[in-house]
Amino acid sequence: MTTLRSLSRAFVLLPIFAVLLVVPMALAEAPQPLHGVAPLPNDQKVPLKLLPPGAFDPDTGPSDVIYPTQQLTVRFNHAKHIAKGIGATCKTCHKAAYKSASAADTLLPKGVVCDSCHSSDHEDTSKVKPGDEDIGQCAFCHIGHKATDGNAVAAVDVPRANLLFSHKAHVDRNIGCPQCHGAVEELELATRDQLPRMRGCFHCHQMSDAASQGDAKSACDTCHFRGDRGTGIKTMFASGTLEPPSWMHNSEHTPDFIERHKTVAADDSGYCANCHKEDFCTDCHDGRVRPRSVHPSDYLNMHAIEARMATQKCESCHREQSFCLDCHMRVGVAESSPIGDKDSGRFHPPKSVWSDPPRKPGHHSFEAERNLNACVSCHTERDCVACHGAQGIGGGFDPHQNGFVGGCATEFRRNARPCFVCHEKDDPVLARCK
Amino acid sequence: MDPEATSDTSAQFYDVRSPTGETILTRRRLTTTLGLNAYDLLKTPPGDPKAADLSLRIRLRYDADFGVPGSVTDPTQVNGFVPGVSQGLVDIMYAYLEGRRFLKGWLGFKLGRQYLVDALGWWSFDGGELSLTTPYYLKAEVYGGLEQRGGMPLSTSRFESDGIWTGSRQNFGTSLYTSFQPVSLGPAAGAALESTGVTWIHGRLTYRRVYNTGSSNVSEYESGVVSPAIYPEGLRIASERLGYAMDTDWPGVAGAKGGVVYDFYRAQITHAYGSIDGHFGQKVTVSADYDYYVPSFDGDSIFNFFAAEPMNDAGLRANVDVDRHLSIAAGGHVRVFDVQTAQFNPGGTSYSPSPNYNVMATYFPTNGHPFDEGGYLHARWRTGETNVALRGAGDFGDEGQRVGADLSGEHVFETRYVVRARAGVWQWKDDLRPDRDATTVNYVAAVGYRFAPRCQAMVDWEHDINRLVGQRFRLMLLLTLATTK
Repeated sequence: MTTLRSLSRAFVLLPIFAVLLVVPMALAEAPQPLHGVAPLPNDQKVPLKLLPPGAFDPDTGPSDVIYPTQQLTVRFNHAKHIAKGIGATCKTCHKAAYKSASAADTLLPKGVVCDSCHSSDHEDTSKVKPGDEDIGQCAFCHIGHKATDGNAVAAVDVPRANLLFSHKAHVDRNIGCPQCHGAVEELELATRDQLPRMRGCFHCHQMSDAASQGDAKSACDTCHFRGDRGTGIKTMFASGTLEPPSWMHNSEHTPDFIERHKTVAADDSGYCANCHKEDFCTDCHDGRVRPRSVHPSDYLNMHAIEARMATQKCESCHREQSFCLDCHMRVGVAESSPIGDKDSGRFHPPKSVWSDPPRKPGHHSFEAERNLNACVSCHTERDCVACHGAQGIGGGFDPHQNGFVGGCATEFRRNARPCFVCHEKDDPVLARCK
Repeated sequence: MDPEATSDTSAQFYDVRSPTGETILTRRRLTTTLGLNAYDLLKTPPGDPKAADLSLRIRLRYDADFGVPGSVTDPTQVNGFVPGVSQGLVDIMYAYLEGRRFLKGWLGFKLGRQYLVDALGWWSFDGGELSLTTPYYLKAEVYGGLEQRGGMPLSTSRFESDGIWTGSRQNFGTSLYTSFQPVSLGPAAGAALESTGVTWIHGRLTYRRVYNTGSSNVSEYESGVVSPAIYPEGLRIASERLGYAMDTDWPGVAGAKGGVVYDFYRAQITHAYGSIDGHFGQKVTVSADYDYYVPSFDGDSIFNFFAAEPMNDAGLRANVDVDRHLSIAAGGHVRVFDVQTAQFNPGGTSYSPSPNYNVMATYFPTNGHPFDEGGYLHARWRTGETNVALRGAGDFGDEGQRVGADLSGEHVFETRYVVRARAGVWQWKDDLRPDRDATTVNYVAAVGYRFAPRCQAMVDWEHDINRLVGQRFRLMLLLTLATTK
């Protein structure tokens, strides 16, 4: 009976012990949330609506080159300070921003701004006096500070932005802080991710770059440093090299940009000139040393196959009747090569296939139709006229395309010179084009 | 004023071998440029985007091939002489005075030898350009002068229209090398209208007319062997073209580009292209391209009259920025050709066929639209000091194939010691001449030293190996210099 009573007592007391034991342990193990060390508690991802205008979802942050990496060694909860209980505003701490005319200005508040609430004394930063309460202790804000560190705290490192920027100019136009920095009031720590995105700047900077139109200029050097010597803007910084983003004319300098940059340059070469001087372009486009970024290895030996396929349009960088022809004549592969240099081999397929009548598969006429530029890189007009000249001059094999006569009057009127290369002046066929 | 002097020098030593293997040229080539620039001649206040700006830019080039034997440049040596080769030892790449943002931002100008890049391609002329930038999102531009042409003092032939073999005929008679046309002045003028100030859309409409002047040899044979017929002097069209290119963006979502070139001489569109880009976040871009191209040549050239058919390219490509160091780009394309599948009637339906057309045309392919296809895979990994790149490609067509890749890398030690390396393997297949198939193996090793800001000396060693020409070596010495006030 006694045993049974003891068991029933134990059964009743067990939950009480459990509560008394487990709850304090659970409470003891649950870490106090440390606020202000990340934009959101537990390092949650910042939703797009809180990021600056122009940010992407997902967002990779602002340019590392424009805004170099920062070291934030102070924890700070913007949301709590702006909330009703404290009631701070942006201006409370960042007063200097409202009059700042340069991106070089330091706009973070000094410690004395905190003193009135935190009961600390930062008047003399070499002898900072902590407050009596927890919120006045150095370690409350300065991450990693230990009591043995004394007055020493880890430095905050916020490098200047590599931009021309006047906060005052924007504030004077009633541009509020969130228009560039996003919803900082809903975040705890404000990181680099709250710095403006260029895509967001363009919401206003769309105006003409002529002097008489508006102040929100869209010229690159409105915000970017002017280039050192001859370029529109400066691109080389200690933090890296500035390159355009993908969303701007799809001009991101991707690994294949060399193949596709022509469409960007053809539309707006001035855009390229913001960063590149002529020298950069002419190294390839008027160059004398083979650019390995364009042509693969052993190209000197093997370029003929690619030229025939027109994989890269040779004429975009080379003039065929000078650059190509000169070399082809010297090495003896051109029909007009000096007799002494004439190559002993044959460049084209056998004559019986390539040029003899009757025409058969592999005949040069089909190759010419497909890619006439390949012919022009080796042959002068004399080589062609020998067979294609009209009766009396050449063999009389008509090279003209279908319907040629329909438009030849325009060509004859504008420049009759090439007509007379193949046709005698009194050739009755020419009358059709006169 | 902000003066600047720059120089790039390359000395190259290599052999050129013929397709059959024997050494044809032993090259010892020196190319050096000298840039003399003076920026900010008006002392523009820093950071003022409205201030007028004046600058002077000059770049000279000396390009000598010391491996050229005397016979190549001696017109009396008919067994070796190649007209035009000896020309252009020294040239002025550009030399112009540029003014920007004068008259409260409205006026800009360039005077001197200058480049012009737009839908009509790369071009250079000696003359003046005047631009007016209005506050109404429009910029107007006019220019005129002489086209830069080979065979003239301090000039190269790079920028004149193709299709004519031309240069100085000094020192040889009229009956020699009649295809080699005497150089003549090329008066040129053009105008352009361009949108300005709006970042999400841009367009440029451009027009240019270039004339040929002077006389020209025409008859090559019956009447030309001894005394070539000379085309009378006079203005005649070298090229007259109208081009338009545009670009529009919906930042972060999509973009489109397009362009077209109309050739008035040929009375047809000679180039048209378009591309559409779709952005999927900040890391992925997918694009589709189309390109239409018909070869066109100088108005003096007979090649305009040959039955060159258009090429139509269609492609897809994508780029992925895996992280801030690694980017990968890949694409594929199809190139569709047009070829003759039946006898042409050059006279069209309103004329009886020419008496001499296609007299021997007994074969026509059944497929009038043969096509080639190809693709590429490029990747790049880079940090501040290291750059590693892979460029691989495969192109497959009726005339041949190439498949291969180059792997290259560069590393800068302690901001001044530069090491570069490169290796590549390519398989080339020549379907027109199967005996010319080859696999090439190549490597490059280079070391350099940056001894001052923007100054670098480098030694570059290249070794190519393939079964056709055996082994080929190239040694390059490169020196880059720059100095400022």
